[in-house]
Amino acid sequence: MFHVTGAFLLLGGGAAAAVLNVRAWLAERPSEIALLLRLIERIAVPAIGLGSALTLVLGLWLVHHVGYSYGTFWVWAAIVLWVLGNALGGRGGRHQAKARHEAERLAAEGDASSEQLRRLVRDPAGNALSWVSGLAILLVLVLMIWKPGQ
Amino acid sequence: MIAAIRPSAWDFPLFLHVLGAMVLFGSVSATAGISIAAWRRPAVVALRRSAFWSVLAVSVPAWVLMRGGAQWIYSKEGYGGNHDPTWLGIGFFVADIGLIVLLVTLGAAFWWQRSGNAVAARAVAGLSCLYIALLVLAWLAMSGKWG
Repeated sequence: MFHVTGAFLLLGGGAAAAVLNVRAWLAERPSEIALLLRLIERIAVPAIGLGSALTLVLGLWLVHHVGYSYGTFWVWAAIVLWVLGNALGGRGGRHQAKARHEAERLAAEGDASSEQLRRLVRDPAGNALSWVSGLAILLVLVLMIWKPGQ
Repeated sequence: MIAAIRPSAWDFPLFLHVLGAMVLFGSVSATAGISIAAWRRPAVVALRRSAFWSVLAVSVPAWVLMRGGAQWIYSKEGYGGNHDPTWLGIGFFVADIGLIVLLVTLGAAFWWQRSGNAVAARAVAGLSCLYIALLVLAWLAMSGKWG
């Protein structure tokens, strides 16, 4: 039950971050972009952090408790994807923090947008890190349900 | 670990159901966060638009995925409506009541987007928090197989 709660927090937090990220992309004023990116840090990031911890710790315990082998494909592949998803998400988050700092600076200086802010918010490489991270976590869900190699 | 023992034919509907429920939880949480952030600044255009489009473009399709997956797996499992387990009843209750809550939230978000009215923003905040509580109840009941 708490392992599933962790999965809801992890994937739900990722979905919330995706919604807010897309809305920040579409927003015009730096103050609005800063507000939406701040919401990612206040809502999505804590949910993802707690969900990541719960899924890994309780998942490893469940593998032991139920009697699965850590060498089974779906178990070790899920752990690899979990690590990859968190690493990419962390790097994507640093990129978003940079965009938020720039948006906050511009908001304090008259709230006029700039080309640099637009580039930061819409940077394909920075956003790709977060989206690929979400895809990795989605693949973990696929492994949890289909359990290939069991 | 989501479901340890079940026929493989149930995997895809279960995936759709769980994915829909998780995206629904995430999008409703985003809506709640946006509308709470708008408590003292309900006129901010980006917040009004974000709440409305989050519900319309993400929460409603996610609800359809969650409910469709639930009905599909329900028919495969062979339940008939009589003596169904408690956790299943809670799941269907939350899913069906949840649609009403979601549609009222969508109406309030539309009103807020059009008017910038603080009361509408607070209605969206209250309704989305209520829906989050219902979703938490449903996933705890269903994953813990209450009853």
